[in-house]
Amino acid sequence: MRFNPGRFGATTMAQLRMTFRRRITLFWSLVFPMILMTLLGLLFGRSVTAGDIVVAQPVTAAAPKAMVTALEHTKGLTVKTSSDAAAAIKKVKDGDEDAALVFAPKGDGSFTVRLYTSNTSATQAGILKGIVFGAADRVSIAATGGPPALAFRAVSVDSASLSYIDFLLPGIVALSIMISAVIGLATVLVDWRQRGILRRLKLTPIPLAEFFAARITASLVVAVMQVVVLLAFGRIVFGIHISSTWWAGMPVAIAGCLCFLAMGFAIGSVVSNPETGDAVSNVITNPMMFLSGVFFPVAAMPAFVQAIAQVLPLYYLANGLRDTTVRGLSLTHVAGDIGVLLAATAVLAAVSLRTFRWEPKT
Amino acid sequence: MPARMDAGAAIEVQGLTKRYGSHVAVDGVSLTVDRSEVFGILGPNGAGKTTTLEMIEGLREPDAGDVTVLGHSVWPDPRSIQTLIGVQLQTTSLFDMLTARELLVLFARFYLRADADERAESSLAQVGLESKGADYAKNLSGGQQQRLAIALALVHDPEIVFLDEPTTGLDPQARRNLWDVIRSINQEHGKTVVLTTHYLEEAEELCDRVAIMDEARIVALDTPAGLIEALDADARVSYTDSGGDHAVYVRDVQATVLEVLERARASGETVQNLSVKGADLEDVFLSLTGREYRE
Repeated sequence: MRFNPGRFGATTMAQLRMTFRRRITLFWSLVFPMILMTLLGLLFGRSVTAGDIVVAQPVTAAAPKAMVTALEHTKGLTVKTSSDAAAAIKKVKDGDEDAALVFAPKGDGSFTVRLYTSNTSATQAGILKGIVFGAADRVSIAATGGPPALAFRAVSVDSASLSYIDFLLPGIVALSIMISAVIGLATVLVDWRQRGILRRLKLTPIPLAEFFAARITASLVVAVMQVVVLLAFGRIVFGIHISSTWWAGMPVAIAGCLCFLAMGFAIGSVVSNPETGDAVSNVITNPMMFLSGVFFPVAAMPAFVQAIAQVLPLYYLANGLRDTTVRGLSLTHVAGDIGVLLAATAVLAAVSLRTFRWEPKT
Repeated sequence: MPARMDAGAAIEVQGLTKRYGSHVAVDGVSLTVDRSEVFGILGPNGAGKTTTLEMIEGLREPDAGDVTVLGHSVWPDPRSIQTLIGVQLQTTSLFDMLTARELLVLFARFYLRADADERAESSLAQVGLESKGADYAKNLSGGQQQRLAIALALVHDPEIVFLDEPTTGLDPQARRNLWDVIRSINQEHGKTVVLTTHYLEEAEELCDRVAIMDEARIVALDTPAGLIEALDADARVSYTDSGGDHAVYVRDVQATVLEVLERARASGETVQNLSVKGADLEDVFLSLTGREYRE
C-alpha cells in the first residue's frame, strides 16, 4: 500500500497516452475553445469600429465643415453623406446607417446639431453621441478663440484597458479547463467502474490513491498545455497582448483544474452510467459557463446573477486567469482566487471519497 | 497432474458462505486445490461459481468460512496474496487506447516488476499473441481479448491463475485454442490453474479435478474419471421400440446390447436408434441432481 514513484510515473505516462490518443478529448480541450474564441471574436470583438454616420447636405458654413472634418479623422468612424435631412434620417430608421447628423441654422450664424440614432443598439448610440458631442464642443470652443476652461481626459483605472477579445481569451481558457476536467473525469470514472476496470485494478497492488494521482497529474499536464496553447493562439491570431505575469496564471489554472477534477470525480462517484454522467456534467457546467463571467463581465449582469457568480468556481478561475494573463497583476493579487478554488476542491473531494464505489450497481 | 509431495495445498477453503439478503449465493463450500493442478468448478449459470471464485481471489468478502492461499489467510487482508495470484475476471474490459503490449507493461509496473518489458513479451508469448502486441485491445477478436486478459493475469508470474469462464462466448475453434493456452500455462509453466466453466466438455477435457456446483453447494468433487466411475456405469445405452424411448446406464455394454437385441428378436420387435454413449459428466450431473444439465 506504499506510493512508488516509478510506478506512479509509468501510470501517469499511460494516462497521458490514453488522453492524447482520444481525438475527441483533444477536440474539446483545444480545438473547440479555439473555434469558440474565433466565433465570439468575430461577432463581438470589433468594438474599435464605432459605426457609420451619415451627414445631411448641404454643409457649407465653416463650423459644420470643421466638425465633419473632425469626425472624418475619428478612428473607427465612417462618415457618409446624403442629399437632405429626411433622406439621412430614413437611412437610420431603415437600419442602413447607425446615425444621422443634421445641421440646422439658427439664423444668428450658429447651428443646432441634431444626432438621430436608433434605439436598437443603445450602446452604439451612446458611443456615437459621445463622439459627436465631443467634436461639437471642440469646434465651439475653437470658434471662441480662447483656451477651454475645462480640459477633459478619460483615464482607465485598469493598468491596461481591456478590449473585448482581451477579456474573452482568459475566460475561454478557464472554460476549456473546466470542460476537460469535469467531463473527462466524470465519464471516465463511470466507464471504468461499469466495465469492471476498477475491480480489475483492485486485484493489483497499485493503491487507488496512487492510480488516481496519476490520472490527476495527466489532467494537470493537459491544463497547463491548454493555458500555453490557447494564450499563444490569442496572441498570434488576435494579437492579444499577454502580460509578463502570465506565468502566475499557472497556479490559478492548476487550482482550477483540481477543483473541476474533484467535481468530475464526485459526479462519477454518484452516477451509475456514462450517459447520465454526461448529462449531469452538462447540467452543472452549462449554467456555470454563462453565470461566471466567461463571455461577458459579471459586473454588467443583474445583481442576483452577480451574487450567484460569487459561489461558482469558474468565476474565480476566469477572474484569476484574466488578472494574471492579460491584466498584468501578480500572483499575490490572485491568492484569494486560488484559495477559493482549493477550498472548493477539498469539499468536492470529501464528497467523492464518501460516495466512491468500486463495483457497478447490481 | 499429481500434487507435489514437498508442498502443502495451493488453496484451502472451509465452509465458505455468501448471502445477498435472503438469497444464499454460496452455501458452505469447502474444497482443496493441490499445487500444479488444473482445478475446475463446473455448474450451470447461477450455481455460485463466480461468487466462490471471487471470495477466494479476495474480491468479495465472505459472510462465513476461511480461505487460505499458499498458506496466507485471504481475509481480512486480501492484499497479502495479490502477488501470488493472477486473475482473469468474467467481465473485464481494458483501457481502450493502450496497445496489448502497453497494457502488459503497465500491469507489470503495477506489481513493481523491474523487468516489465521482458515480462510483457513473455506473457504475450505464453498466450500466443506475439503478433498482436501493437494492437489496441478494443481491436482484438473475442478470443484474442480473452487471451490478453489471461496474459495480464500472468504478467507478474504468479503461482496460481484464476480464470472465470474463460471460453464463454467463444466459437468452438477459439475455445480449443484457448484450451491449448491453458494447458501450456499449467504444464509448461507449472502454474496452478483454477477455472470455472459451465461447459461439461471443457471440464472433462481440461481439468485434473472438478467440483460440480449446483444451487450454491458443491455436489461432487473428484477427477472427471472418478466422477464418472462413481456412476457405476460405463455407458448409456439408449434405443427405441414399440414401448417408446429407453435409456439405461450399464457396466457391461456388450451384454446389454445383446440382451436388447435378443429380446427384440424373440418377440418380433424392431429396435431403432440403438446407441451406446460413453458415460460423461452430463450423466453425472443428471444422476446427482435429478435434472438435465443445461449449459
